[in-house]
Amino acid sequence: MRRDIVKAVLRRTPCGNLMANAVELRNITKYFPSSNVLANNDVTLSITEGEVHALVGENGAGKTTLMNIFYGLHRPDSGEILVNGQPVEIHHPDDAIKLGIGMVHQHFKLVPSFTIAENIMLGIEPNQYGMLKKKDEAEMVRQLANDFGLPVDPYARIRDLPVGMQQRVEILKALQREAKILILDEPTAVLTPQEVKELLAVVRNLAQRGRTIIFITHKLVEVKDVADRLSVMRDGKMIGTRTVAETSIPDMARMMVGRSVLLELDKKPATPGEVVFAADNITVTDASGLPAVRHISFSVREGEILGIAGVSGNGQTELVEAISGMRPVEGGTILFQGKDITRRTVGERRKQGMAHIPEDRIKIGLNLETNLDENLVVNRYKLPEFNRLGFMILSAMKRFAAFAVKQFSIAAAQPGEMIATLSGGNMQKVVLARELSGEPKFVIANQPTRGLDVGSIEFVHRSLVDVRDRQAAVLLISVELDEILSLSDRVLVMYRGTVAGEVDPTTVTKEEIGLLMGGSSLPGTATSAGSVQAVPKPQKEVVA
Amino acid sequence: MDNYHRQQRVNTFLVPLLAVISGLVVAAVLIIFTDNSPFAAFEELFKAGFGCSSLNRCAFFTTLERATPLMLTGLSAVVAFRSGMFSIGQEGQFALGALTAAWLGFALDLPPVVHAIVIMLAAMVIGGIYGWIPGVLKVKLNINEVITTIVMNEIAVLVLVYMVNFPLRADRGTTAYSPVIDETAKLMIFMPGSKWGMGFVIAIAAVLAVYFYLWRSAPGYEQRMAGQSSLFALFGGIRNDRAAIRGMFISGALAGLAGAIEVIGVHYRINQDFAPGLGFTGLSVAILGQVHPFGVFLVAILFAGVGLGAQLGLQINLGIPRELGGTVIALMILFVAAEKFYTDGISGLRERWAHFRGQKTAVELAMEERE
Repeated sequence: MRRDIVKAVLRRTPCGNLMANAVELRNITKYFPSSNVLANNDVTLSITEGEVHALVGENGAGKTTLMNIFYGLHRPDSGEILVNGQPVEIHHPDDAIKLGIGMVHQHFKLVPSFTIAENIMLGIEPNQYGMLKKKDEAEMVRQLANDFGLPVDPYARIRDLPVGMQQRVEILKALQREAKILILDEPTAVLTPQEVKELLAVVRNLAQRGRTIIFITHKLVEVKDVADRLSVMRDGKMIGTRTVAETSIPDMARMMVGRSVLLELDKKPATPGEVVFAADNITVTDASGLPAVRHISFSVREGEILGIAGVSGNGQTELVEAISGMRPVEGGTILFQGKDITRRTVGERRKQGMAHIPEDRIKIGLNLETNLDENLVVNRYKLPEFNRLGFMILSAMKRFAAFAVKQFSIAAAQPGEMIATLSGGNMQKVVLARELSGEPKFVIANQPTRGLDVGSIEFVHRSLVDVRDRQAAVLLISVELDEILSLSDRVLVMYRGTVAGEVDPTTVTKEEIGLLMGGSSLPGTATSAGSVQAVPKPQKEVVA
Repeated sequence: MDNYHRQQRVNTFLVPLLAVISGLVVAAVLIIFTDNSPFAAFEELFKAGFGCSSLNRCAFFTTLERATPLMLTGLSAVVAFRSGMFSIGQEGQFALGALTAAWLGFALDLPPVVHAIVIMLAAMVIGGIYGWIPGVLKVKLNINEVITTIVMNEIAVLVLVYMVNFPLRADRGTTAYSPVIDETAKLMIFMPGSKWGMGFVIAIAAVLAVYFYLWRSAPGYEQRMAGQSSLFALFGGIRNDRAAIRGMFISGALAGLAGAIEVIGVHYRINQDFAPGLGFTGLSVAILGQVHPFGVFLVAILFAGVGLGAQLGLQINLGIPRELGGTVIALMILFVAAEKFYTDGISGLRERWAHFRGQKTAVELAMEERE
């Protein structure tokens, strides 16, 4: 049996005392010359055996690069790695797995058409004379699941499982390979509040069983809930390691950003006016022709923020694409300032005052192959200000870039700067500068703070509230519940392409909204549109 | 400018230069197999391709003459590539442009200069339409432009073969030729001994026009954005479909113009094997020229010179097959395709050199810049 062999190998490695450092990363430096990114700048990190260690920082702070180096996906330029006190060379994930390191990536690496057992045993299938032994496979998975108190049905197929269950499979996969050190890369990003709670309990439980957990996140509440210690990274540097019990959330935020941050958003009550935007009974299909948005109706008034909550992948992407004109609707009408714009192009909608902050600033919101000036004018290059007889006025573009850099404090940028050299937070500021300059009447903000640090999030939120106060209508789509609840004046919850319900952000509890996000209806309230889809899927046989 | 930006700029020039040198080094090995000294061979090649012994025996003028169609087909590829269309239809558009010129050259009766201008405009329209068709097929029906342009190249060449052999055939010899065009249709020539003339000036004007179109005009901006990131263009409100079709029309027009100038500036008539490969070479010119009009200008002259040098210098003087010229060019393109090899190699060498000299490496500089 493979497991026994691995165990035997592990037994031979000298074991330190109980509080030994399971992992030591010393002076790790990693520079990517092609993109001029110094992802890790002399980073040192020690992790004690059996602890939950949170690694905190914005996307681009270098935490994922550091973990990829540890897992053998990158080679560092300098520095050394010690596992259980022994210097090791990790050239490939195979080396990492042999050392007892497991990684659960942000995007799961599972085969959707395979069963849970097949996924967990992939590459290490029990066999006899080369023939697979399916029964043994399932039995081993059942055993493993029971050992760790993580019940799964070995025969269920991945594609039928909710995201939380898929993540559990990923964790079991690492445990099956005898992972002593488990890296979880932003594990809560895709989960509902209930699933997050479950996951955090699982993580605590694994730590109690002597597993060492490295928990990458940028949500400080989760750090407080689950971690023993935290290490904060910023701009590729290690800022410091603290004991969670002795560190307050504002202190953590200050370490992440380098200055004090307002975590609570200060906003005036909304003064809603006329309806600016209305979607009436619209239906949209996704790239493969399946319905993604089914008969949704809503309207947004000037001077208010309408929030759309929901777990990602419930039709939000398609809804936004349809509203902004990037994807045709299959049915229904879209009204903008009283006019039917259902068949209008993106350019025509933008000309009438629609602005769009897309969910993916790298692939959609920006053109990384060109510079700041050209990125900033994509929605206004036809205006006479930038265009004389079909020729671009480069000086005006440059002036506008200088204005945007100043107005939106895009650090370290100057007109003509290549966009690809900017950090995530500054890239998003470029998008905001383009979309929010010039008094838009309707702003679609889809996941506007995804992957940003606390400081940039504060900036984005402030900008959205400001544009609302200038009486623009704002549609905010986000999977971050806190963001939805603190910014929105009204909230809709999307589930499987329909509106599962509308809630008042000032009175609703997280549990209530979590139920709607998971497809259940609120007890005692009649939810209209989503009730047909709102019945939870019957769970397949679950072995306790 | 910080260390990174400085190095990026240096790399833009260093990579093609190193590719050219690598091509020459491998070619030198091949020359050694022919029992010739590579140094002597390269000297011959250079003299015959770029030398100028006297004003009316100047090989370089012939090189410029031969660079003219390469510049235009290279520009044609640049415009298509920059709008996100991997068009390889220059060959067919070139053939139809040449056919148009050969026919209108004797069929029309117009005063000088006007005749030539009318011919060039007509060839541009024909080439443009021939580029527009795959553009429309791509946008409306999502048919891959690589496949349509390959197929349409075949069709255009066969149309040319038919036209030369039957309707336009002027003599009863073994090889079919179209009639020689009228004097009024011919382009001015600067120096006797070569056909270097007005066509070259038009090509330079086209280089500047393409540069201003792509980097200064609003339609050019649309095209580049659509070419670099179609999702970004769609999101920003740019009509990707129109940009692609427009790019294909302009691309076709430039290749058609190349065909016309080759007829009214150089050969004055066409046969059924008229100038094959000039369209395809244009693709290589565009790629080695970093998909930039100014790069195309330099590389077209380089390619023409190497080709001429191989033909006159190597084949006639040294008895080395002239195909070696083509081999040298192919090697250069091969090495340019290995760009990452050079950029990695250059940064690795920089690090070692800095280490050796006791200077700061790029990693250290990057660390310092972020202090």
